[in-house]
Amino acid sequence: MPKYSLRVNGQVRQVEADPEMPLLWVLRDLLQLTGTKYGCGTGICGACTVHEDGRAARSCEVTVSNAVGREYVTIEGLSASGDHPCQRAWIEEDVSQCGYCQAGMAMTAAALLAEKPHPTDAEIDAVMSELVCRCGTYQRIRKAIHSAASERKATR
Amino acid sequence: MTSRRAFLKSVARAGLVLAIDGKAFCGADTNADFAPNAYIQIGPDNSIRLWVTRTEMGQGVRTTLPMMLADELEVDWSQIQLEQAATVPRFKGIRLRTSGSGSTVGTYNTLRKAAATARVMLIGAAAEKWGVEPATCRAQSGAVIHPASGRKASYGQLADAASRRPVPENPPLKDPKDFRYIGKPMKRTDGSAILTGKAIYGLDMRVPGMLYGVVKRCPYLKGSVISFDRTKAMRVNGVRYVVPIESGLATGVAVVADNTWAAMKGAKALEVQWNPGPNRNFDSDRFLREMEDALSESGYFVRGDGDAGKAAALAERKLDAVYEFPFQVHAPLEAMNCIADVRAGSCEIWVPTQAPTTAQEATAKQLGIPVDAVKVNITLTGGGFGRRLFVDYVPEAVGISKAIGKPVQVVWTRSDDMRFGFFQPPSIVRIAGGFDHAGKPLFWNQRSVGCDLSMFGFPDEKALADPRHYFNDGSPWGSFDNPYNFPNLQADFVRRNSAVPTGPWRAVEYPAQVFARESFIDEMAHAAGRDPLELRLELLQPGDVLKLGDAKIDRGRLINALKLVAEKSNWHQAPFTMPGRLWGRGLACNIYSDDCFMAQVAEVSVGKAEGDIRVHRIVCALDCGRVINPLGLGGQTESGVTWGLTATLHGRIDFRNGTAVQENYGDYEVIRMHEAPVIETHIVPSELPPGGFGETAVPPVAPAVASAIFAATGKRIRRLPITSEKLRA
Repeated sequence: MPKYSLRVNGQVRQVEADPEMPLLWVLRDLLQLTGTKYGCGTGICGACTVHEDGRAARSCEVTVSNAVGREYVTIEGLSASGDHPCQRAWIEEDVSQCGYCQAGMAMTAAALLAEKPHPTDAEIDAVMSELVCRCGTYQRIRKAIHSAASERKATR
Repeated sequence: MTSRRAFLKSVARAGLVLAIDGKAFCGADTNADFAPNAYIQIGPDNSIRLWVTRTEMGQGVRTTLPMMLADELEVDWSQIQLEQAATVPRFKGIRLRTSGSGSTVGTYNTLRKAAATARVMLIGAAAEKWGVEPATCRAQSGAVIHPASGRKASYGQLADAASRRPVPENPPLKDPKDFRYIGKPMKRTDGSAILTGKAIYGLDMRVPGMLYGVVKRCPYLKGSVISFDRTKAMRVNGVRYVVPIESGLATGVAVVADNTWAAMKGAKALEVQWNPGPNRNFDSDRFLREMEDALSESGYFVRGDGDAGKAAALAERKLDAVYEFPFQVHAPLEAMNCIADVRAGSCEIWVPTQAPTTAQEATAKQLGIPVDAVKVNITLTGGGFGRRLFVDYVPEAVGISKAIGKPVQVVWTRSDDMRFGFFQPPSIVRIAGGFDHAGKPLFWNQRSVGCDLSMFGFPDEKALADPRHYFNDGSPWGSFDNPYNFPNLQADFVRRNSAVPTGPWRAVEYPAQVFARESFIDEMAHAAGRDPLELRLELLQPGDVLKLGDAKIDRGRLINALKLVAEKSNWHQAPFTMPGRLWGRGLACNIYSDDCFMAQVAEVSVGKAEGDIRVHRIVCALDCGRVINPLGLGGQTESGVTWGLTATLHGRIDFRNGTAVQENYGDYEVIRMHEAPVIETHIVPSELPPGGFGETAVPPVAPAVASAIFAATGKRIRRLPITSEKLRA
């Protein structure tokens, strides 16, 4: 099987994989980074969201062969000690219920805030409506995004 | 349950070990005749360990249980270490199971009593050591102190001595006014692990040497495999084995590989010839019409007060209506999965399930080995909602592991999870009701056509020979326990089962029955020109207790919830207006399992485009007794409302030609953020025992929204989901 060299969470990782294997399964099964979740496998739930060159991307839709040469960040690498404003805000607002979708939610929100530091509700809806939370934590997610946005402002 | 004695026992190495509600564990000393339901251990190193015997699936049990322990044992929050109970000998005799919104309620008294027992013994040990009266000592932050002399000893220092003391029969429980944790908003204990990717769900478990299996399942209900050709599947890089399976729900053929992707790709490539079996023509639309036809049959007795038939003949104003609720699926975000490692004479399992003991027993039976030879480990669970009370994914993993002699993780694809579950069955409900000459509510006659839930087992002929079978069973929920005090009330149930596997879904039978019941109350109010709140209040008198078998339902508590929701939603004020949109409010309420009372008001608007319905706000008021964690209660309310709203606006599963049609979140749409309303939770203060609220918020949503749409547009919704009605302003 072909070998690939990937950049994940600031490290270079070597994997041997089917060229079609989605990054999701490379992360989970080959690199043991299981924080990135399998939800739908077709890019419509967002549980597998990672950062690709700083932007939110669905890891179930990126093949390993296409992942070469790009920089990926997963929930495990979002911050050195779990203190990214989104991680802090999510805990502070007690967003999680079952929690399974929340890594994807927080990764998406972190990418949104990097692009739009103070998103409106409509801007939040436009991006976050691409994701599914079956526990229905949306109200707290929105609140956490606003609170992460104001924290970023405060620490600047 | 509370009558069983709690006691303590010393274990030399471990310090003070406390078994709640039964015999302590100590190697061979375990006695299965007792049924302990949670465990505490205080180590000489001052560690306080709590074994959580329920499955965490979002309801917050890994937060509420340590709150109760911290309060009653008098330890600090940060001292407690959580351990997840597994099916191991020391928990023998305890059924590990999480269902019915019972995690917190079911442990409140026993856990508190056990912790209080330990506290009394720790204080006793300190008092003896210091030669003082126990009453002059007190427990505080994981230590016993003697204020008069300033002496202090940690629980770790006292653990061994405490374990030798007599066990108090009735230790005093803490006065609720002194609670430090119970009743205060506490954040989820797993919050940080979840947000850093460290939380381990079933799919995240890894066992050395483990392979991954994906099952190509027979798409037809109860169909079977005629033959398969493994050639193409084996050509996929990483595929190791192709194994036919006959366990679980659907027969199929498993592809086992080095990684999940290879197993999925192999399963796609695998060629299988299916025998569609006897249900190849099953069609859910036709089934629903057959159910509707069955309204003409007489059903099993559910409830009978007065004489609804005679009253109907005397009624001045009468109406009737038929309501429809389709098949629904759970669709938790973490699809079903299970790891099994079958060895000679034993088996170890790692699985996110609500029913670990059931999984253990099923595996022992499957392998022909003793129950004790099976260990089931419980992981975090990416949503349960009733689906994980079934363990059909476990024998699949066990069968494959046995066949290949290696540990294997069976992974259901999203499509598997949507199409091969235990579905919420459909319901057809017809209600007739009327008023007397003076305008007083006179009668209520409800006939529900529905399926038995396979979770509770289909009633056999002997059970059905008893015409009061469904009354004795208290079923269907929502019809049986109709809270409204009609002088003449009749309810019956017509059975119509199908080939579709059915099981409890969030709120079990309530959603369909409450949709019909609360919508019809709204219809009656409008027919009589009455306010829907006022009509309900007339039918619920304060101090009036409804007795049904063992259940006692205090109608006054529902009144309190209704009055609070009316106040918080500005029920008596005119709704908002907005050009081009019609606005309305709708009210509904329900009592979940006689101990949790909820009322909701939905605010909706309808636009001119087809299906343009917006649910702006849902105000909830509830009385669920003492609230352990208000932060968790708010979360569960928001969660239940969103769940109910998915069923109201979008949710349905169709079967065509014996096959489930929907297979992902694209065609089984769930509420997403842009559709999520503002959800408010208002609590009726209460010092009554806590009630379970994990499901309570679900049932009132559909009738509240449907009644709001009626208020806005004059169009009555009687069939769910609402968008199938092609509504517009």
